[in-house]
Amino acid sequence: MGLTSVSFVSFVLNGRRKKLDVHPLKRLLDVLREDCGLTGTKEGCGEGECGACTVLIDGVPVNSCLVPAAHADGTRVTTIEGLGGRHRLQRAFVEHGGAQCGICTPGMILAAVALGPRPSLHDIKVGLAGNLCRCTGYSAIYRSIQQSHV
Amino acid sequence: MKAFAYVNPTSEKEAVAALKTDGIAMVIGGGQDLLSRMKDYIDSPDRVVNVKGLDATVTATSDGGVKIGSAVKIVDLAEHAAVMSLYPSVAAAAIEVGTPQIRNQGTVGGNINQRPRCWYFRNEEFVCYKKGGSRCFAVNGENQYHAIFGNDGPSHIVHPSSLAVPFVAYGAKFRVLGPNGEREIAAADYFTMPTLANVLKENVLDDEDILTHVILPAPGNVKHGHYEVRYKQSHDWPLAFTTVVLVMNGVNGTSGANGTSGSTIRSARVVLGAVAPVPWRSRPAEDALAGKALNEATAALAGEAAISEAKPMSGNAYKIQIAKTAVKRAVMRAAGIKTV
Amino acid sequence: MSSRARKAVGRNVLRKEGHDKVTGAARYIDDLTFPGLLHARTIRSTIPAGEIVKVRFKGDRAGFTLVDHHDIPGRNIVALIDEDQPCLAERKIRHVAEPILLLVHEDREKLRAADVQIEYRPSTPNYDPERSAITFKKIAIDKGDLDAGFAAADVIVEGEYRTGLQEQLYIETNGVIAVPGSSVAGAAGGITVYGSMQCPYYVHRALVILLGLPAGKVRVIQTETGGGFGGKEEYPSMMAGHAALAALKTGRPVKLVYDRVEDMLATTKRHPSIVRHRTGVTRDGRLTAIDIDAVLDGGAYATLSAVVLSRGMIHAAGPYRCDHIRIRGRATMTNTPPNGAFRGFGAPQTQFAAEVHMDRIAERLGLDPVRVREINALRPGDTTATGQRLGKDSSALQVLREAVTRTGFRKRRRALAGTNRGIGLSLFFHGSGFTGAGEVKLAAKASLALTHKGARIHVASTEIGQGTRTMLAQIVADALGVRYDDVDVNAADTGEVPDSGPTVASRTCMIVGRILERCAEEMRARLGRLTPRQYLRAFGPLVITKQYERPAGMVWDDTVYKGDAYGSYGWGCDVVEVEVDRDTYEVRPTAFTTVHEIGKAIHPMLAVGQIEGGSAQGLGYAILEDVVMRDGRMANATLTNYIIPTSLDTPPMQVVLLENPYPHGPSGAKGVGEMPIDGPAPAVINALRHAGFDLREIPATPERVMLTSSVESTQRTPRTPRKSQAWV
Repeated sequence: MGLTSVSFVSFVLNGRRKKLDVHPLKRLLDVLREDCGLTGTKEGCGEGECGACTVLIDGVPVNSCLVPAAHADGTRVTTIEGLGGRHRLQRAFVEHGGAQCGICTPGMILAAVALGPRPSLHDIKVGLAGNLCRCTGYSAIYRSIQQSHV
Repeated sequence: MKAFAYVNPTSEKEAVAALKTDGIAMVIGGGQDLLSRMKDYIDSPDRVVNVKGLDATVTATSDGGVKIGSAVKIVDLAEHAAVMSLYPSVAAAAIEVGTPQIRNQGTVGGNINQRPRCWYFRNEEFVCYKKGGSRCFAVNGENQYHAIFGNDGPSHIVHPSSLAVPFVAYGAKFRVLGPNGEREIAAADYFTMPTLANVLKENVLDDEDILTHVILPAPGNVKHGHYEVRYKQSHDWPLAFTTVVLVMNGVNGTSGANGTSGSTIRSARVVLGAVAPVPWRSRPAEDALAGKALNEATAALAGEAAISEAKPMSGNAYKIQIAKTAVKRAVMRAAGIKTV
Repeated sequence: MSSRARKAVGRNVLRKEGHDKVTGAARYIDDLTFPGLLHARTIRSTIPAGEIVKVRFKGDRAGFTLVDHHDIPGRNIVALIDEDQPCLAERKIRHVAEPILLLVHEDREKLRAADVQIEYRPSTPNYDPERSAITFKKIAIDKGDLDAGFAAADVIVEGEYRTGLQEQLYIETNGVIAVPGSSVAGAAGGITVYGSMQCPYYVHRALVILLGLPAGKVRVIQTETGGGFGGKEEYPSMMAGHAALAALKTGRPVKLVYDRVEDMLATTKRHPSIVRHRTGVTRDGRLTAIDIDAVLDGGAYATLSAVVLSRGMIHAAGPYRCDHIRIRGRATMTNTPPNGAFRGFGAPQTQFAAEVHMDRIAERLGLDPVRVREINALRPGDTTATGQRLGKDSSALQVLREAVTRTGFRKRRRALAGTNRGIGLSLFFHGSGFTGAGEVKLAAKASLALTHKGARIHVASTEIGQGTRTMLAQIVADALGVRYDDVDVNAADTGEVPDSGPTVASRTCMIVGRILERCAEEMRARLGRLTPRQYLRAFGPLVITKQYERPAGMVWDDTVYKGDAYGSYGWGCDVVEVEVDRDTYEVRPTAFTTVHEIGKAIHPMLAVGQIEGGSAQGLGYAILEDVVMRDGRMANATLTNYIIPTSLDTPPMQVVLLENPYPHGPSGAKGVGEMPIDGPAPAVINALRHAGFDLREIPATPERVMLTSSVESTQRTPRTPRKSQAWV
């Protein structure tokens, strides 16, 4: 134990090891966008309400605007960039209208990834309840997720 | 954020030691509440002590209850088999917290110790009692979500914790570690009604204390019901909610026909959330239930009794009806009667 | 030129920027950075009315630049319609959150922590739009002889209806970056502004006037925009001015991105309304006289209130035939942040009143709500309140009948009677494009440039999620006879595209799409048998620019509000089922069906997306979304406290598209973006009426429903309680 600041945070980001000298309470969202240059993770509200900043930590969706950098230490972090560009959900969101303005889309897709294969409509609704979309009314997002397996 | 130290203790004792400072030290669990408050300049600690690495397990106790580490994630509490079977109202409250993302990151200790969600408290422009000021802005302001019980002031917040309510209802004890060692406090005594002397806090924790565990006693022959009312289906703070735990007379409290209980209620605990500065135990409702048959009529009586001591503010009288309904329906759920 | 290309119009082609959006590659304003970038913070008034006495910066000023009204080289206004709103307040304060000065620094934390204190001399604010001393705009529409209409009536039904503020709540907050130099390379003496916006040329004009620069020295470039819904129509002009002033003063790029709280506190919202109806009707259900008086709360400055009022009033009588109509409307000033554009633009407010009133008329006559609408719905050949004679592309009866059939409305209504559920409907219409002579005055232009494979679209119309790029490319592809993939779309950059007008008023497809279609038709004729590559090799570059042309016979008189208010109208009918918890008074929509007649669906999936999304916003408007104003300030300016529907709050939606082509729209298309938000609120309130609750005001929050008198017990207009009143 030390009373000085823990200055290094290391985690595996989209499969690559990262070691960063950042403030331990810097928001993971800012670490990703500013220190890692990955701007696919979006800020919608900064208070954990909208889910636009959703990333996966060890496969579990969290709001990166409310995760202190120190809490990512030793974890695997997945952002939208980590899905590549050919993930079934990415394709389906384009083909079935799940993305309109696109600002909620990265977080929405990552929350959908965490649902696993072939979720029921109920599971989709509950699983996405932390991701706000103002464009679609959600229906096209459900269709995208359901059609992603076809 | 100003410069400060971040401490990563490896034991509870180290955590307590790390809280000793001339400046302001704060505990961080999942960090969701603290990070929000720091971002909005509501708190500016000099030192932050991470307790996320402390006990994150749910274990069985020797008397048939469970011991829940403060660092247990809310999602894990909601899905824990023993919790779901022995304390279904705890699991029910946990699954209604925030959103999936918030449950994945938030901890039991963080949920219990989070600061009020009052919109004046959360806005740095309003220096209210809880921030060292000398007013509660809700009194002459927008108070539709504020307290309807325990409204003697000086603060009129509602306690924000969802888990605290079933914990009080099940008679939980909170284990606290401080510089002088460990102590156990009944959940009901952990939360404090505001006075001018203690208004800066919502509970008995001293500056160098940490909440380490929640210990739930064996439930015994009880029936449980939990009911929350909110505007929106997800991620909305409830308008009012209730946990009831009913100790039943009779052999095993099995249900009779038509969803009514075959036995009578020996004693009850009725605790309301989002209606008072603390989880609000309703003695009138408990008295109304004791000795009665468990049915819809009794549930309605409990609801009426619960609101007999309500004192609403200028803009939240409607919450009385909501609170009454939450009590009634929690009792109905305990009875296995369909509520809507 | 090949004509074998598969038709793009009517097909669900892939969205142009879809891949970038799902991979995180799309660049929104906050994703951009520039060397030497500074950040700005806006210091705003904390009082609703009064004067600034003194401004004091406390603490170390090192590294800070302060920008105030003295730094404005041109005129201190946000140029829009009226010229009443300063870009930075000089002395007078008219609302909370009025911008006073900007702080600029490279470190965002230092910026956030800086302490600026402002002393004020407060004056008494007014929050009541009916008692305002300042009227921004009045509108009067008269048709026939009102007295004669009432004389012919058997029954007169009166009512007062109110709607609240609504926040657009695009998930990307407002933001801009100003870079000194009018080209990307940074030429001296001008300014380039990047930003999240709907209307690059609005911003351009505002900057030219504010900065006193020639038009050629100002360049505005839209970045990928995370939703607008009207909320990025006028406010970006203000922000661009702020960032530009700061960039010119510091000589460095300046970023100004609002956080959610600031965005909610300071930027525009939907106008609250009070609409009173007095209607004469015969015993068998015919409307004989419609008398409407409406007030919109404009907030502290005029912004777009005049045109919001205009659209509101033109739609105020609903899609109904009546020979005798009087409509009086005004938009007045209050000491609250200015209200402005929001999807629907006045029509949701007035059609809420009209449609709730219509159910009350039906109830009074003992008719069912479908019957009274069938009797009165506008048919082709009928005239609207402004005297516009409707053409064959009018579909009020069709959408009504389709919705009634699809939902088994009458049967459901009988089945749900006496339960804790209710079913209601609304019939509505929405004019596409600018009102009256607006399009003629605007004279929008669009260009098409020949490329080696096909063509490139040059328009100022912005993609804000609705599918502008995709839909315009489809129209051009078919008209030119090339593949959809061979049409690309230039950035909405005023340095490169002509002024095709703002991206508002459901005009992009019908108006701009049609101009582009004409460009493509001419380009196709010029190409003859040549491929684009052959043409370019033989003749060099080919750019075709066309301007809006008013369809023959379209007439509008702005002085008396008479004539053809819009080229065409879309028509819609919503049916909502709600469930009411009779103990907690929670209202939950459980089923939603909407029928929309939109001329032609260029891209059916995008059109359905607009309808589903707009309907969800309408349901939020009806039930959940409550802006709480206290002392002129939004008290619930966070996403925690201002709630919008989540996935769990949105009912299953059935969307039915009907097509009744408008001869002057591209492939027959009309507008679609705004209309979906007109219908849900009255349908919900009518469903609540069916369930026994006589509401006249939205949102239908539990406390409002709880305090509403039941339908049986009221004959007079009850006052549903206002938020500001005590309930005990």
